[in-house]
Amino acid sequence: MIFIASGGGILSFNTGFAFWVIVSMVLFLYVMGKYALPPIVKALDQRESRIKESLESAEIALAKAEQISKDNKKALKEAEIQAQKIRKEALEDAEMLRTEKIEKAKQDAEKILVNARNTIEQEKKKALVELRNEVADLAIKSATLILNSELDQIKNKKLVDNFIKDLSTHI
Amino acid sequence: MTQIVRRVVVALLFLLVLNPNLLAADSSENNEPVIDVMGKVVDHDYFEIFNQKIYLPRIFLVEGGLHFYRNTQSAIESGEFQMVDGTMIRADGAPVSIDFSITSHLLFVWFGMILTLLITFWASFKYKKGTGGDTEPKGSGQNLFEVFFVFIRDDIAKEYIADNKHTKFVSYLFSVFMAISFMNLFGLLPWGASATADLTVTATLAAITFFITQFNGSKDHWEHVFMFPGVHPLMRIILTPVEILGLFTKPFALAVRLFANMLSGKIMIVCILGLIFIFTEIFGPMVGVGSSILWVALTAALYILKAFIGLLQAYIFTLLSAVFIGMAVEEHHHQDHESSVAMTKDVQI
Repeated sequence: MIFIASGGGILSFNTGFAFWVIVSMVLFLYVMGKYALPPIVKALDQRESRIKESLESAEIALAKAEQISKDNKKALKEAEIQAQKIRKEALEDAEMLRTEKIEKAKQDAEKILVNARNTIEQEKKKALVELRNEVADLAIKSATLILNSELDQIKNKKLVDNFIKDLSTHI
Repeated sequence: MTQIVRRVVVALLFLLVLNPNLLAADSSENNEPVIDVMGKVVDHDYFEIFNQKIYLPRIFLVEGGLHFYRNTQSAIESGEFQMVDGTMIRADGAPVSIDFSITSHLLFVWFGMILTLLITFWASFKYKKGTGGDTEPKGSGQNLFEVFFVFIRDDIAKEYIADNKHTKFVSYLFSVFMAISFMNLFGLLPWGASATADLTVTATLAAITFFITQFNGSKDHWEHVFMFPGVHPLMRIILTPVEILGLFTKPFALAVRLFANMLSGKIMIVCILGLIFIFTEIFGPMVGVGSSILWVALTAALYILKAFIGLLQAYIFTLLSAVFIGMAVEEHHHQDHESSVAMTKDVQI
């Protein structure tokens, strides 16, 4: 009794109802498949492919960056070696220059010393000659003074000549 | 602790306001059962909302002629039709060939479809504008939509339909999943009904899956149904009928599984709530009201279960549809045959 309530039991199949369901279902599926879902599918596919692409390109970029950093490191190492070499060379050059300079200075000093000695020697000789002349003059003057008082001219001359002879031999 | 006591007291007050005796007395007057369980689950010629019945149009096909009426009442009043034992027949006794009437279940089928369409078009509009396509999906609505869509596409369609043939079926699977989910969940609304608790609806849905499966069947699929490569010819006498039967048992299982699950949930809820009225009838109003705490709690638990089952059954229907379609469209590779034949030979030895 309960099972036939309102025109059919719970297990009955209603053809008219099924017809409506099929018609609306086909319409529903058509609209969904033709208009509603394609933009979503397209957008999602696009997004997925873009994400995939960007991941791939990121990987490539990462590899490139790694390569670049490796290259950089290598270049840096090379540059360091180069710099060290240059520094070493510069040091050597400087050392050489220094020794050269010292050598030159020593030589210069020596030269100056020799010059000075020569000059002193010459000056000494000059002074001696001057001194001799002076002494001679003085002697003559004093002798003159003495002889003027005691001797005549001939004796004087003889005396002076002897004196000078003596002087020249003595010196 | 005091909060719990307060809540129980408030709940009791609410229950005392209800008068189950009144309702029970009303129905027991005219020899009807205390509570009409089947009446709650079968199709109706009216749509009920806020206890108001909106009578729906009736369309009858009798002996090749279509008859339209605004509702059952006007069909009877016109004198052309009469109600005998709850079924409509023409006044001269000719039975209705096909009843094309708009029924409450049909309305819920439509609601499910319309809601699906609205949500999908809303999401579609968002994706078309670039949100989700060019950028990440924005807002909980779109995210939730995408969760479902991507789940259906990747975990159901792509998983079970091989050889990249799934793209063709994603829209069907998604549409069916959403529509069935909504139809299932409408049964949880106070005056709602699960359209899927109607065998006609589930059978029709299963039939659509069946036709899609068969129309997209590959050569291998039909070969396996009729020919059985690698099996002794005499075995075909047994296997071919079994396979042909199998073509139809698959959609049958689909239809019955969804129907029975949704119907049983509804019947359980109506029965357990009906116990309040039955207890009132048998033991008096005090027992009825007192025990109602238990029945309401049980119903609430069942409601949660039913909400889960509603989604679960929609998922199972979609999943099995995908599995059946996947089995039909799959193209077997020859190596598999040879290896499987070799395997059977090995086993025989």
